[in-house]
Amino acid sequence: MEFSELIRTGQAQAELLRGPEAPPLRGTLCVTGHHLLLSPGPQATPDLWLLLLRSVDSIEKRVAGDCGTITLRCKDLRVLQLDIEGVEATLNIARSIEALSSLESVITSFPFFYRPKGLRLGDAWHFHPPERYYKRVAREVLLRSSQPLIGPQKRRCAEDEALLRAVLAGSRPGARGFIVDTRSAQTAKQARMTGGGTEAKAAYPGWKRLHRPLERGRPLQESFVHLVEACGDLEQSMDHWLSRLAGCRWLAHVKEALSTACLAAQGMEREGACILVHGAEGTDSTLVVTSLAQLILDPSSRTMAGFQELVEREWIQAGHPFQLRCAHSAFSHARPKHEAPTFLLFLDCVWQLGRQFPLSLEFGEGMLLALFDHAYASPFGTFLCNSEQERCLCEVRTRTHSLWSGLNQLKEQRKLRNPLYVPNPLALWPSVEPQSLRLWQGLFLRWTRPPEPSEAAWEKVWQIVTDQEKTEGSQPTVSASELQL
Amino acid sequence: MSLLRGLLGMDLIRTWVRLFLSFREKLALLDSALLLDVPLGVISRIEKMGGATSRGENSYGLDITCKDMRNLRFALKQEGHSRRGMFEILTKYAFPLAHSLPIFAFLNEEKFNVDGWTVYNPVEEYRRQGLPNHHWRITFINKCYELCDTYPALLVVPYRASDDDLRRVATFRSRNRIPVLSWIHPENKTVIVRCSQPLVGMSGKRNKDDEKYLDVIRETNRQINKLTIYDARPSVNAVANKATGGGYESDDAYHNTELFFLDIHNIHVMRESLKKVKDIVYPNVEESHWLSSLESTHWLEHIKLVLTGAIQVADRVSSGKSSVVVHCSDGWDRTAQLTSLAMLMLDSFYRSIEGFEILVQKEWISFGHKFASRIGHGDKNHADADRSPIFLQFIDCVWQMSKQFPTAFEFNERFLITILDHLYSCRFGTFLYNCESMRERQKVTERTVSLWSLINSNKDKFKNPFYTKEINRVLYPVASMRHLELWVNYYIRWNPRIKQQQPNPVEQRYMELLALRDEYIKRLEELQLANSAKLCDPSASPSGPSQMMPHVQTHF
Repeated sequence: MEFSELIRTGQAQAELLRGPEAPPLRGTLCVTGHHLLLSPGPQATPDLWLLLLRSVDSIEKRVAGDCGTITLRCKDLRVLQLDIEGVEATLNIARSIEALSSLESVITSFPFFYRPKGLRLGDAWHFHPPERYYKRVAREVLLRSSQPLIGPQKRRCAEDEALLRAVLAGSRPGARGFIVDTRSAQTAKQARMTGGGTEAKAAYPGWKRLHRPLERGRPLQESFVHLVEACGDLEQSMDHWLSRLAGCRWLAHVKEALSTACLAAQGMEREGACILVHGAEGTDSTLVVTSLAQLILDPSSRTMAGFQELVEREWIQAGHPFQLRCAHSAFSHARPKHEAPTFLLFLDCVWQLGRQFPLSLEFGEGMLLALFDHAYASPFGTFLCNSEQERCLCEVRTRTHSLWSGLNQLKEQRKLRNPLYVPNPLALWPSVEPQSLRLWQGLFLRWTRPPEPSEAAWEKVWQIVTDQEKTEGSQPTVSASELQL
Repeated sequence: MSLLRGLLGMDLIRTWVRLFLSFREKLALLDSALLLDVPLGVISRIEKMGGATSRGENSYGLDITCKDMRNLRFALKQEGHSRRGMFEILTKYAFPLAHSLPIFAFLNEEKFNVDGWTVYNPVEEYRRQGLPNHHWRITFINKCYELCDTYPALLVVPYRASDDDLRRVATFRSRNRIPVLSWIHPENKTVIVRCSQPLVGMSGKRNKDDEKYLDVIRETNRQINKLTIYDARPSVNAVANKATGGGYESDDAYHNTELFFLDIHNIHVMRESLKKVKDIVYPNVEESHWLSSLESTHWLEHIKLVLTGAIQVADRVSSGKSSVVVHCSDGWDRTAQLTSLAMLMLDSFYRSIEGFEILVQKEWISFGHKFASRIGHGDKNHADADRSPIFLQFIDCVWQMSKQFPTAFEFNERFLITILDHLYSCRFGTFLYNCESMRERQKVTERTVSLWSLINSNKDKFKNPFYTKEINRVLYPVASMRHLELWVNYYIRWNPRIKQQQPNPVEQRYMELLALRDEYIKRLEELQLANSAKLCDPSASPSGPSQMMPHVQTHF
């Protein structure tokens, strides 16, 4: 396919407004197949401003006189305004952005063209089997699946029952199991009408079913949309901010997700039970619960590498349909079809965990923000497609770069790591009281708050850590010079 | 283990041990790690619950309401009327004023190696601000508290206003609290002036001396053609105050001024608001509708209004647009909040530990914030309408600022909580009495210990490791509701279910890192020394020192 067919006007003079903190930028605006470029001319200090078209969530155009204005709302929740000379140019550029930002074909997307310096294709796509993880939970196991296909006939499946029996038998004698169903008992029962259902007590001896309904799909997406709306609404009097925040229900979802993960983790850690988590498909709330439970229990998943493994294993390989769920973020006017911020909900829960245990995660807020940004629009291939199978078909692993190799470059570390990290061998039991959960300002107010606050403090910590590492690192040199003498 | 802190003499401590012993089983049943440390000064109210015929566990005993957001309930056995004696002793020592007993601070014989009473010296503080100067003078007209009994002895007033002028102005200001200087901008020389409301009354009285005096204040800065007056109250309240003889500066009487109302509510509204906060956090934390319950307390909204007001004051002054006069009704509650917060935003000196102590000492203690009435030290009238958490609200605002600017303050959260704990504890003399004249009369500085002695003799505990000293930076916090938070570590600290890590793990880890770095640097220096010693010995080194040393040093 030729991108040039979709580009109606190549260039125009424009001014870019990036919110209250950044100065406006004036120059030549240019639409390419994957990017929007603004080139302020050779003398300007930032010589080029670049936006991946894929990250545009919604676009709004207005014309007045012989000028036009395009408002771009991005998937990372940024709002940009472009003032463009010429009505024709404005309309054409808007149309081009609209067309190019919503291309559905995976193999023409930017990751297939992105060839950054210093990275080799194929790097960091393969993780070594996380042995530590399996060793650690040698007795109690955490499993995930989709719902059993019981159906209206109340079918049974001997192999499925045998499998769960074997799980208990493989644990210690007399071990019990809990099935955490992320739907309400009612919904689980109703699922029988469409061929699904949930494990009948009699068929799975030793297993006890617990229903912990987690919101998913459209209600979750709506909650996200309302929250972003509330956060961006700077005009309205804010006397009712707190009830509006409550009305968005986002923090309620965070609370539910964290408590369910705690429940699963508690079952393993305190009761010595095996845990099976599922909802309907096992590709959304199930993953929130299993991945959070691992962070709670398993110290190795809290390291930089361990966390990447966790996301790779529990989200990407587990088949969370990123392409469907993250097709649009909170600004799209289109009716949501399959969009849902399930992965964001997980990241928010991790952020809450990090806020309550500020030393125990090796990665910092920057890592979570990067994952959010890349899940919705990325030059890397990691979050492309909906499943392993699709990724194979598109040859994602051989033809695109992995996000992990991008993130693991030395220059990115300062943004992503938590300088205060101290390995913590214990389980992290977060408080899920509403007083302990906060709005993730760093994400939801990222573009509207003054940039200063905590960055300055982190910069200080980094200074100390780097100083210390330098000093530490220089010691061998000193001893070496001693030896020479 | 647990014992209600007596600090009152041995016989009483024995009583408390007994009291403790008599219900230890019950407490132990609830939680074996329960530890109580309650200064008697914190107690606001003691009630008997249940009677001799009450049935059921924990139905008979004492219920103690504290000033610091908690209640304590002691279940006792009915046999032997053990409660009566306990109730009497508690009442006697928790409310010494009603029993003609001294407040505990006068009995406290603690010794510290620093004397906190020397922290604040008004002459030195004004000198630091560059005062007196051509336009402002220091006056001792209030030396014996004759001009105004709730003001400090030393005041800074316009050079051009004579002492007689001041006396005439005093007749027109509520409780004689005339406009005096709080702070002067080091460069543009605009000032923050504080006072009480003018006594305009229903008939709209005017006072030429007061009008002239404000104009003299305006003229201390040549570039300014209007003086800004911030009336902290909502305009309706300011108007309503005319009925009781007060009011505000009208346009027609005060020509070169502009007046703004800041909509901050009075002490009664704040007291009720905090009461609602307590209702949702103690004994049980409201769970299902937390955010909307929190909103319905309006506490954060009040915080927002106070901060917004202070930001406006600070912005006026820092931009050099005009000098500012701040008042409310009497000028000792909202006015103190606004001037001290604006000063904290404008002047980085006040963000250091000692600077903050001076700020509290100056704007609150010396200028007559009625601590005794607002807190009710040693007083049993728990329902007294004069009580109000105005100072707590100020400290909350400071905490909000410290959250938004984590490197700007030398002190940490513990410092703020410690100040609040001793606001009630009566262990120190710092917050006792309503004004300086009373404190002089009671010889507080001679007979009690200052809270700053405790803090300054152990400063490390109260230091924010992220502090970066900055001069001349004005801090404008974001006073939007989105950026304000309930101070969970203070208001909900008694709830065992709210995760609270003390000391703050981030601070602690940072200190460890600092210490580690220092240690490495030290070891490196030692190695270098050892090296250079060897290098200086020509027989040991063929290459010579000049080639080796730079190599080692490049790592810094």
